Amino acid sequence: MKLELGKIYIHDVQFADKTYVENGTLFVCKEEIEKLVLEDDRLISARVELARPGESVRIAPVKDVIEPRVKVDGPGAIFPGVINKVKQVGEGRTHALVGSTVITCGRIVGFQEGVIDMSGPTAKYTPFSETYNVCVVIEPKEGLETHDYEAAGRMAGLKVATYVGEAGRNVEPDEIVTYETKPLLEQIAQYPDLPKIGYVHMLQSQGLLHDTFYYGVDAKKFIPTLMYPTEIMDGAIVSGNCVAPCDKVTTYHHLNNPVIEDLYKRHGKDLNFIGVILTNENVFLADKERCSDMVAKLAQFIGLDGLLITEEGYGNPDTDLMMNCKKVTQAGTKVVIITDEFPGRDGKSQSLADAVPEADTMVSCGQGNIIVHFPAMDHVIGTLDFVETMIGGYEGCIKADGSFDAELQIIIASTIANGFNKLAARTY
Amino acid sequence: MAKYKIVHYINNFFAGAGGEEAAGMKPELHEGAMGPGLALKAAFGDDYEIVATVVCGDNYFGEKTDAAKAELLEMIKKYDPQLFIAGPAFNAGRYGVACGTMCKAVEAELGIPVLTGMYEENPGVDMFKKDLIIVKTKNSAAGMKDAVPHIKTIGEKMVKGEEILGPSIEGYIERGIRVNYFHEKRGSERGVDLLVKKCRGEAVETEYPMPKFDRVPPNPPVADMSKVKVAMITSGGIVPQGNPDHIESSSATKYGVYSIEGMDRMDKKDFMTIHGGYDRAFVTENPNLVVPLDVMRDLEREGVIGELANYFITTTGTGTSTGNAKGFGEDFVKKLKEDGVGAVVLTST
Amino acid sequence: MDNVMVTNNCRCFEKWKDIFQMEFEEGWTYLDVLTKARDYIHQGYHLLTHPLAGSVKPNQTPFKSIILSKDTLEDAEEFRDLVLIEDSIAAYHKFIKGKPLPDWPEKSREDFRTVDLSLMEGVVSNPIMNRR
Repeated sequence: MKLELGKIYIHDVQFADKTYVENGTLFVCKEEIEKLVLEDDRLISARVELARPGESVRIAPVKDVIEPRVKVDGPGAIFPGVINKVKQVGEGRTHALVGSTVITCGRIVGFQEGVIDMSGPTAKYTPFSETYNVCVVIEPKEGLETHDYEAAGRMAGLKVATYVGEAGRNVEPDEIVTYETKPLLEQIAQYPDLPKIGYVHMLQSQGLLHDTFYYGVDAKKFIPTLMYPTEIMDGAIVSGNCVAPCDKVTTYHHLNNPVIEDLYKRHGKDLNFIGVILTNENVFLADKERCSDMVAKLAQFIGLDGLLITEEGYGNPDTDLMMNCKKVTQAGTKVVIITDEFPGRDGKSQSLADAVPEADTMVSCGQGNIIVHFPAMDHVIGTLDFVETMIGGYEGCIKADGSFDAELQIIIASTIANGFNKLAARTY
Repeated sequence: MAKYKIVHYINNFFAGAGGEEAAGMKPELHEGAMGPGLALKAAFGDDYEIVATVVCGDNYFGEKTDAAKAELLEMIKKYDPQLFIAGPAFNAGRYGVACGTMCKAVEAELGIPVLTGMYEENPGVDMFKKDLIIVKTKNSAAGMKDAVPHIKTIGEKMVKGEEILGPSIEGYIERGIRVNYFHEKRGSERGVDLLVKKCRGEAVETEYPMPKFDRVPPNPPVADMSKVKVAMITSGGIVPQGNPDHIESSSATKYGVYSIEGMDRMDKKDFMTIHGGYDRAFVTENPNLVVPLDVMRDLEREGVIGELANYFITTTGTGTSTGNAKGFGEDFVKKLKEDGVGAVVLTST
Repeated sequence: MDNVMVTNNCRCFEKWKDIFQMEFEEGWTYLDVLTKARDYIHQGYHLLTHPLAGSVKPNQTPFKSIILSKDTLEDAEEFRDLVLIEDSIAAYHKFIKGKPLPDWPEKSREDFRTVDLSLMEGVVSNPIMNRR
């Protein structure tokens, strides 16, 4: 499967009468976006605001971040099974508005959304302080049931991103990157002397606000399966969850999965990237046993020499992570784990809720429990009403001027456990 | 400019009062620097002054910890120091525990920076490394020369509120605190690097070490308790009155085996606790709380267990190194086997 | 299957009180639920759900539900459940030590009940729960 990703670099975002891209500036039509969002009668208001790097702007509570993309050639369309029809994706050509995002904000349940600062000392912790963001602030109708509101918010973001992505359809990309993974036997034969490497991508699947969808299928209801790495770049996986803001894998991060990207960079040089094993993080212990058995089986079945494992969330997923690591290692495949850490406020406790001796090679994406200071910003997109109750915030943490102290875990994707960031932790 | 004031804590031995024979000495106060403090004084130079040295016997500190702590704090407080240094204790176990205890107490009471030094196998290290900065020293006083520059650098940084860097740079014992930093490469790239190396069979270094797995795999359950001889083992420091074998109240180096033959319960007239790590009042009154002979006899009578061994095995758990503890176990398990003991009840405090 | 749900979430209690044996007390803390579940494990029960299910840390949510069973559904390692519950209790203390549970307003408490309920709904809908 071969995908050309056409990167259109965005250097600014502005409002206009219609939505289009010109000379690296993304122009968006506010009214059309609002109309699109309000097609869903579960939502009563939608307000579009723009946030640019360096501005004194705080966005909260953030639910999801999505990179606008459009499929210009090949089967299927972006977000298959969710926005577009179910159809295999990952082949042909896709355009991405690199450097821009669509951000959904608004209260879902009172605690699981996060904060993005576009400038100041906390901006460095989130990748979205460096992107041009189209923020959609949504509000549900009175009394809307929580599950319905979650679904409405998720769909609103994906719809807007698809709409904005269309603006890139006829734009000549600044750069085209080609990714290719062949069918298993051919792929192995292509680089017979290089180690055969895979990636176990654990999808959050615990329940409300803890779900992820693969071609529209709720990940907690599937069993581990194989995926061509390019499928994910066309939106085969979308996020429907906020675990803790810091280690949330947003839809943006699925589209731009760093492990897949970095494995492709070394593909044919010092490794042979065979493919991705998707699995989940269910609450049921029997599911964990079954799925980790199957992950190990698949790794052995396709003959992997080594694989990377990433997780999403803390606690319950740590058990899946360790079971996967242990069983895959015992099946004869070398493992490296990428994770983030929660060692408590003083940094002195065990970082993960589970551990096995086989987990002897780990990459740390930093610890989420340290307290950071958020100075007041000139403008807030969304609301700071919920800061005290958001994960990482605490009672009395916010001052009248809008400045507050909170644990790092309140910032969207600050310790994301797939290695997207440079943040790491070491032992003192 | 006024000098920064330091108070230094040392034990009987380093104060020149003597070894074991002087270990019972009560807290004493000396103006200025003495013993190892002289080397510190020279290193810290003119901007700092060791205004006082407080001394206490290791045994006195171990046995009357609360009293010793209170007396020493009173002495230290009146100098209003900016820094408190204890030791270094090198490999002296009781001294290490005293240094750690005093550092924590001074930090809590006076709110000033505190610093000590120890050899990495000193039992005080495991007890205090998470709470304190402990400069890494050699296992004897010969290591003073190497330790002094680290004590000086860290001490100065503490007083001035400057950032103390990682343990390998500053020369202190790793505290197990996870601290964030920005790496030059993103996590996924580092992960791929590690995996490629691992697949080549090269050595790789993890960024997050797993906790130590020194768990003992559990034996299969006892099939029929009613046919088994059971023994009681404790780390709760219960010994016959007078502690005939002189088992230490902390950092134990030995264990004892004592008869309970013909006894129906642990009588406070016969047994006491010497454990230095908990409030002994209740156990002194009723030693069955730690060695549950009373209920074990009931179980024996009811036929729930086959028989109770006619002795119990005891030591003190607090501050005892895992190496010693392991050694005790390997040693006494032979006796248990010879005596046909099929199960043990282990109690801790 | 002989299942028991240990919970301090009244919405779980209301929803499943006729289906499961219930150990419910509105006033229980998160730790009380973990401890109760541990007691069941010591009495020979097996964990069906992960004690930290939800990834909402124990110093954030007041609510916790755990399902245990006399039967086991999988070939787990010995003492796995005990290790899991003890590690969870350790994790509870780690977080609570740094930052105690806030005194949430009722609106937030209801949100936390909803998420806990939702996690359990996912579990109960699992076909394996219909084994008798």
